Amino acid sequence: MTGRQTRSTIGMLAPATGLIAIFVLVPMVLTIGLSFTQWSTQTGFETASFVGLANFADLLGPTSIGRDFRAAFANTAIYTALSVVLILPLSVMLGLLVHQTFAPGGILLRTVLFSSYMVPMIAVALVWSKLYSPTEGPINQMLGWVGIPPQTWLSSPRTALVSIVLLNVWQQVGYFTVLAVAGLTQIPRSLYEAALVDGASAWMQFWRITLPLLRNTLLFSAVIAVINAVQVFEPVALITQGGPVNSTNVMTYHIRRVGIERAQGGLGSAMAVTLMLSLIVVIVLLFTLLRDRGEQR
Amino acid sequence: MKACKGWHLATIGALMMATSVGTQAAEISFLTHWGPDTVALLDAAIDKYEAANAGDTITVRAVPFGDLLTTLRTSGGGAGGATIAGIYDAWLPDLVRDSLVSAAPEAVASDTTTNWPTGVVSAASVGGSLYGIPNEIDVYALNYNKRLFEEAGIAEAPKTWDEFLAAAEKLTDASKGQQGFGLINSWAAGVLHPFASLLVSNGGDLIVDGKPVLDSQAAKETFELYEKLITSGFSDPAMATADANTTGPFLDNFVSGKTGMIIMANWWESALKAGMGDAFTDIATAPIPVGPSGDTARSISYSWMTVVNAQAAPEEQEAAWKFLSWLNGPDSGENGASAMGDILMSMGILPSRTSDVAAFGDRLSSDPFLLGYTQTLSDAKPFPVVLGGQEFSESLQQTLEALQFGQVTAADAQANAQADATEILERNAK
Repeated sequence: MTGRQTRSTIGMLAPATGLIAIFVLVPMVLTIGLSFTQWSTQTGFETASFVGLANFADLLGPTSIGRDFRAAFANTAIYTALSVVLILPLSVMLGLLVHQTFAPGGILLRTVLFSSYMVPMIAVALVWSKLYSPTEGPINQMLGWVGIPPQTWLSSPRTALVSIVLLNVWQQVGYFTVLAVAGLTQIPRSLYEAALVDGASAWMQFWRITLPLLRNTLLFSAVIAVINAVQVFEPVALITQGGPVNSTNVMTYHIRRVGIERAQGGLGSAMAVTLMLSLIVVIVLLFTLLRDRGEQR
Repeated sequence: MKACKGWHLATIGALMMATSVGTQAAEISFLTHWGPDTVALLDAAIDKYEAANAGDTITVRAVPFGDLLTTLRTSGGGAGGATIAGIYDAWLPDLVRDSLVSAAPEAVASDTTTNWPTGVVSAASVGGSLYGIPNEIDVYALNYNKRLFEEAGIAEAPKTWDEFLAAAEKLTDASKGQQGFGLINSWAAGVLHPFASLLVSNGGDLIVDGKPVLDSQAAKETFELYEKLITSGFSDPAMATADANTTGPFLDNFVSGKTGMIIMANWWESALKAGMGDAFTDIATAPIPVGPSGDTARSISYSWMTVVNAQAAPEEQEAAWKFLSWLNGPDSGENGASAMGDILMSMGILPSRTSDVAAFGDRLSSDPFLLGYTQTLSDAKPFPVVLGGQEFSESLQQTLEALQFGQVTAADAQANAQADATEILERNAK
């Protein structure tokens, strides 16, 4: 590449990379730097005082700082795991229903499923908080018709987090179904026809053709689902406020509480850095796991 | 009376002059957590003010209570934040430390010191400087459903903890999904203030001289009272959830007659009226029952105030103090009350300005709902205003919720609460 070409390449890349640097990298580097300081978010950066690893030690310590952080971290991990475990199989199942041509209604089902993704979270939160009402909520009333006793849903620390997960699955599954359908359309029909000639059942076709060839789609869906789940904030802020007994206090809500409400910017930054590192580890593991499976095959 | 009126006018005139020297027309904003009906009253007062003060423009920004502090902290720190904000007194020390609010001008401070009770003025001050003009004062009282009391054969409101537990037992009917006493969870103040009111009515305190005293005998008995309410089934924590708007199942259960008693503040009246309609007449109030270590019925009290953004432009700050002086002054409302007093009383909230208390004297002494609160007012203990107050409140909230859901015993809850509070207050005081 000549010098002129190099300069031209840099010139063309500069606007995009510059924006990324300003709006993504600079805040990341700032957050990492602030995580080693004691700093009130209401004052200028010049007031931050270096405290070394003290903030991270507090996160692992026995005080309420550490206990609340670890509880929020665990809640986020459970929320993420449950969301991914429920959303991915459901999206594939619904994707197959939408994609099939044996029965009518596929496009209608796709529209209905995707519409839940388009509803603003504020509306979802308002409606679901009433649906979940333990004494007057329609869900418990419907369960009562089939002899199931009322459930506590958002009103108990045992069930509140799972209730938020179900709300998330309901809202997100349509989007992931569309991704699954996009993956299904990429699989050549000829493979299924050849399998039929060989006498493969529908079940065998699913396990031997559909699922392996959906691997890249599923990897992408899993990564997006993990990132979305880790960033959960609105339903917690709008419905449960992290309660009861911190059972729905997830990382983003907790960081907001510590970093903004209490203005403990250094501590909040340390939590954000820990969350970011954990997310990187999970994403790398996900790629490694699915890539290895592909190589084994 | 005429002389009194003349004195008021002279005072307001002096305040106007003191705060308007060199004042230019300004656009200012008012951040509040009030609901639409109350904001409409504030807007009406603003219209009246703007008609008499051409050039000044005031807009109202309303957010849910759960978002108020966050909004204040995220936008209040910059020049683009709200010029005026209504805040809870417990937040003041942290906001002053972070230079988010400005000290009141001398004329405003002097007027406030003259016209408000000393305790309320001290809650709006830090380090001897006044930072806000107080408006509402809140205390807690027992709210009970007279219809349920009658059905359960209870003649009158409980005055002691023994009577309180006996009433809770009679009111509890699991077959109807009915609980005797309603706790609250998922809302820090909603969890903490009823507990603190029972504690002070049992002769105890949360914090004394900046140090937590949750290891006292009075606190032990209060934690044990909560444990008994839960283990006996008189309170069902699953009926206690609140949401970001401080409503939710705990409110639904009380207004629908599934909760016999609850401890709540006086501002609760408007929510009850909205939720119950004509059935609101079933609700009565009484002072907090006295515990075994207490001597008289007490409640905690807290106040709200309007503060001015320290980062706002000087002319905006001047315009803000001028407007607040008028809004809280005795000539902006009806019959010697302030416009702020009128707004507060529309929600059943007790005003704190001495002249407002006098102007609304008849209503305060005759309103059956407010009676349980006004009876308690003179014996109320101010909720401690300390650095780290919000973190302290949220920590104690978690401990009390863990007790509600049977995750800890009363003894463990007391030990955890004292240890956490000590660590939090020491760290924030540094």
